[in-house]
Amino acid sequence: MDLSLNDDQVAIVDALDALTRPYAAVSLHETGFALFDPELERELSKSGFLDVAAVPELGVVTAAIIVERVARLPQATNAALSAIVAPLLGLSAGTPLCIVEENAQARPLRFLCEGATVVVAGHSITSFTVTGDQVRAEPEALYGYPVSSLRSVPSDRQQHDVSLDEFYTRWRIALAAESAGLLAAALQSVCVYTTDRNQFGRPLASFQGMRHRLAEAQVRTNGVYWLAIKAAATLDPADAALAALHAQEAARAVVYDFHQFMGGMGMTLEHPLHLWTYRLKLLASELGGRGANALAAADAIWG
Amino acid sequence: MDFEWTPEEQAFRLRLKQFLAATLPDDWERFSQHGPGSPALTRYAETFCGKLADDKLLTPHWPKEIGGEGLDPWHQAILAEEMWIAGEPRGGQYMNVNWIGPTLIKYGSQWQQERYLPPIAEGRALWCQGFSEPGSGSDLASLRTRAVLEGDHYRVNGQKIWTSYAGLAQTCFLLCRTSDDRKRGISILLVPMDTPGITVRQIPSLIGEGDIHEVFFDDVLVPVEALFGNEGQAWEIIAYSLVNERLGIPRYGLARAALDRAVSVLKEEGRWNNDAVKIEAANVAALCEAARIASYAIVTKRAHGELVGPESSSARFATVMAERRVAEFVVEYLPEALADAHPYLKMHHQRGIVAGIAAGAAEIQLNIIATDVLKLPREPR
Ligand SMILES: Cc1cc2nc3c(=O)[nH]c(=O)nc-3n(C[C@H](O)[C@H](O)[C@H](O)COP(=O)(O)OP(=O)(O)OC[C@H]3O[C@@H](n4cnc5c(N)ncnc54)[C@H](O)[C@@H]3O)c2cc1C
Repeated sequence: MDLSLNDDQVAIVDALDALTRPYAAVSLHETGFALFDPELERELSKSGFLDVAAVPELGVVTAAIIVERVARLPQATNAALSAIVAPLLGLSAGTPLCIVEENAQARPLRFLCEGATVVVAGHSITSFTVTGDQVRAEPEALYGYPVSSLRSVPSDRQQHDVSLDEFYTRWRIALAAESAGLLAAALQSVCVYTTDRNQFGRPLASFQGMRHRLAEAQVRTNGVYWLAIKAAATLDPADAALAALHAQEAARAVVYDFHQFMGGMGMTLEHPLHLWTYRLKLLASELGGRGANALAAADAIWG
Repeated sequence: MDFEWTPEEQAFRLRLKQFLAATLPDDWERFSQHGPGSPALTRYAETFCGKLADDKLLTPHWPKEIGGEGLDPWHQAILAEEMWIAGEPRGGQYMNVNWIGPTLIKYGSQWQQERYLPPIAEGRALWCQGFSEPGSGSDLASLRTRAVLEGDHYRVNGQKIWTSYAGLAQTCFLLCRTSDDRKRGISILLVPMDTPGITVRQIPSLIGEGDIHEVFFDDVLVPVEALFGNEGQAWEIIAYSLVNERLGIPRYGLARAALDRAVSVLKEEGRWNNDAVKIEAANVAALCEAARIASYAIVTKRAHGELVGPESSSARFATVMAERRVAEFVVEYLPEALADAHPYLKMHHQRGIVAGIAAGAAEIQLNIIATDVLKLPREPR
């Protein structure tokens, strides 16, 4: 057991930070609900960061470390599914990927657009490439991702030779790793704001009513990070289900506090907080939500 | 990053499990409800720790020069986990092994080491920790028990409270005030508990008999050789000790073991096939595992010889969350456990309630996280 980053991972994280630094500094005026930058997406896949899962010495755990860091950016990216799920399906990294469960086809899908690969999870794992007439854009959606929904799902789809267990494990890891980064970025932005903002002659963050709730959010965020990273290292279905469950539970517990602590500023589009929290809201509904992930975890652990 | 135990670590854990299986009496689970500080368990612990010592499993993480095996912090963590999960058959002696011994090794005089380390390493010493006072709990630095130097003795007057194991301990690791300087006026004396002028009164508690006490010091004369470190050095020394103690009790391990036990009982009784129960059990398991890995992140730092900072408070708070939720799960779905149906679950319930109080209240952990992890401005005092 050794939970420190190895030398390769440290070097990768440094290089990733160098790549993303200009994007982190983006001006946030007029971004609207979703902030998406195709150039960032291109740079991430071109640079090889999304390919690491297939490299034996690096593996899915390094992919999860990358996904967590990328998720802290104000821009939404498809990194989680590209880096963690796509390689399992034999798709090249950087393939724009959407996942829909056969029994929940109406839900909004992040990054769904013409030409995207849609994976359908049902009795088996299948996929198809979306045509323009199968997509309904949802420009008014409140999520921090570009989302669309499917008008129809073709019956003729490519079959993938992976087990449901393997597939759901990857999906849960991707969700948990991205959530960990979103939680960390949201928490950080609230800490900065409440430290700078003075009321009653002192920084808001010096009031214990806020300090303790922010500290609890830190404990939950830390927990989501570690459960996600562990699941990515073990690829164990029980670990993955616990990680997804804990991520969705943490999102539920902290999102409203975070907006609350920013007062009116937490209601604006000019502050980036919503970019992270409204993504967490969409992720909280994936994979059937907390109940379904909890049942999956219980079955995987205790049968 | 590596989440696998090495074959050597796995073998060490197996050795401990085999030792426990071969050594603990058949009625151990019921017996362990006596609580770590009870006379029955304290007596049993002397036998048990003696056997541990014979098998070189009592202080394996101590340096070789003083009778240890020089094993790394991972072995210390594995040892602590297996013992606590088993219901802590070392009784109050776990404290010696975890932090009193290591603190003696780092700060003790030669005389103190010669006198106190061998009995600890042989499994026959019981210590108590005289920190808290009626007026000084979370605000420990306000403590008032006085030690006044008179020639070659200190004269000690004052009162301690919540002192675990004081009824049977031979020695007290005592914090007392040698000057009025708030933190730098506090010193440590190693005081034999049979010194005239010391009175111990047990406090009946939820945790089981023999655990917490009041200790009164009335004109207690302690020789200057009992001064531990220098006068005024106590704050530095206990900061070192507490880092050891914060991870000393791996409560997440017993919490998870109790959860697994509760699930197996529910299954046996045909009560598991219920989605509400399963969902809650999974939520509890997530909290236990989150606490476990947060703790392992800290052990990693120790294993690399790095300083452990405020993140240990985060791991501890995570443990409190897990501990409470397991107890709630048992109460909700197996209430008969708190009667007498499942001694192991009752034992967990009795011990779990102190997780957020002993060794620093949960709110103090949150204060530390806010100030030192999140870097938020302090509360004005
Ligand atoms: C089973 C058990 C064993 C113990 N063993 C020992 C021992 O062996 N030796 C020893 O010296 N002590 C021991 N203690 C004492 C323990 O360290 C103290 O109980 C603890 O530090 C809290 O102090 P207190 O009880 O005086 O609570 P107080 O300091 O009076 O606090 C009461 C409560 O107020 C809240 N609180 C306090 N300060 C703050 C703050 N700044 N912000 C927000 N909330 C706050 C917390 O919820 C806290 O629990 C033991 C306690 C227990 C329960």
